Amino acid sequence: MATSSKSAVVLKAVKKIVVQFCPFESNVRSTREFLVMVGSEKARSTNMNCEVITEVKHDQSEPVVDITFMNGERLMMKGARLTSKEMLTTLQSHCVTKDPQAKPGAKN
Amino acid sequence: MWSLFFTILSPTYGWQPLMQSVRHGSKAVTRHRKPMHILKQKLMAITEYIPPKPSTPPGALIPRARPVQEENGLVLLLKKELQTIFQECKMIAVIQNNSINSEDMLHLKHRLRKHSITIKFIPNQVIRSFLADSPYINMGPLFIGPTVLFVSKEPKVKEMLLSLRTSPQMILLGACVEKTLLSRQGVLNYAKLPSVTMVQGELVSGLTMLTSRTASLIRRPPAHLSLLLQQYLKQQAGDASAETTPGDSPADA
Repeated sequence: MATSSKSAVVLKAVKKIVVQFCPFESNVRSTREFLVMVGSEKARSTNMNCEVITEVKHDQSEPVVDITFMNGERLMMKGARLTSKEMLTTLQSHCVTKDPQAKPGAKN
Repeated sequence: MWSLFFTILSPTYGWQPLMQSVRHGSKAVTRHRKPMHILKQKLMAITEYIPPKPSTPPGALIPRARPVQEENGLVLLLKKELQTIFQECKMIAVIQNNSINSEDMLHLKHRLRKHSITIKFIPNQVIRSFLADSPYINMGPLFIGPTVLFVSKEPKVKEMLLSLRTSPQMILLGACVEKTLLSRQGVLNYAKLPSVTMVQGELVSGLTMLTSRTASLIRRPPAHLSLLLQQYLKQQAGDASAETTPGDSPADA
């Protein structure tokens, strides 16, 4: 689960991330891992304006990650059958298409 | 050279062969590893041991049983601690922390300490193996990822929620309050409940309301009657005094 420099999370183009899950379900592991990776210090430091909101529910609903980008686009990921890595790579690919940024390692 | 000497020096001891070869140069026992003679090499190669091959691979027949690891001393200690926690503490809350600052954590700890709520960091594996044996098995799926336990002897839910509101990275997943498993919604509802004395008072007043109503209903006719009688007596007394006062004056006069 440790993020190397290549798979670092850069949230420059992200406005808001809403993660909702029901902790008593059995299919929430990947969503929770994704939440940890996105809510980590490193990820949050790339964009201090980005809000990471967690909603804990108990209605046996599926875990959903709702991401709003700076240009108004929304990305919804249903995490019941996805792994955290897949979700992360999808998010990163979307971020990269939004604004082609320099790699975080090359910046320094 | 020595062989020649033998034949010359001892002619009386019978016939000795003329030439006796003495081994020199190649010894059997050497200090280094002596290279094998080619014939010996060939023999060794031919007579190598070939073990009999089993018809089925051994992994297919016997199922691979993981060796049962004995639990560490540390694990046993933690489990004992967990047992005491579950016996004594009325409130056990499970929180997920998304990389909270150490500074924020200190502040949070300080705030919770004031209400005698302690924070416990116990590895998930230990907790899950402990819960599997205990009656709190349904709490098991909560413990995924970085989790923290807030335990306290008194169920001080309101104070805990207030302290958690200030730190957005700590996410309340669920709690076991007074041996009942509550989800986050349940915890919020529990916090909104009035205190026990208030509830008792409300209950008592609700129960006695009916009986008091019946009692008042029963008492109404005799009370009405007594009121009427009193009113009648007053009227009578009023009439009598009205009679005597005009009667008195002619008596005086």
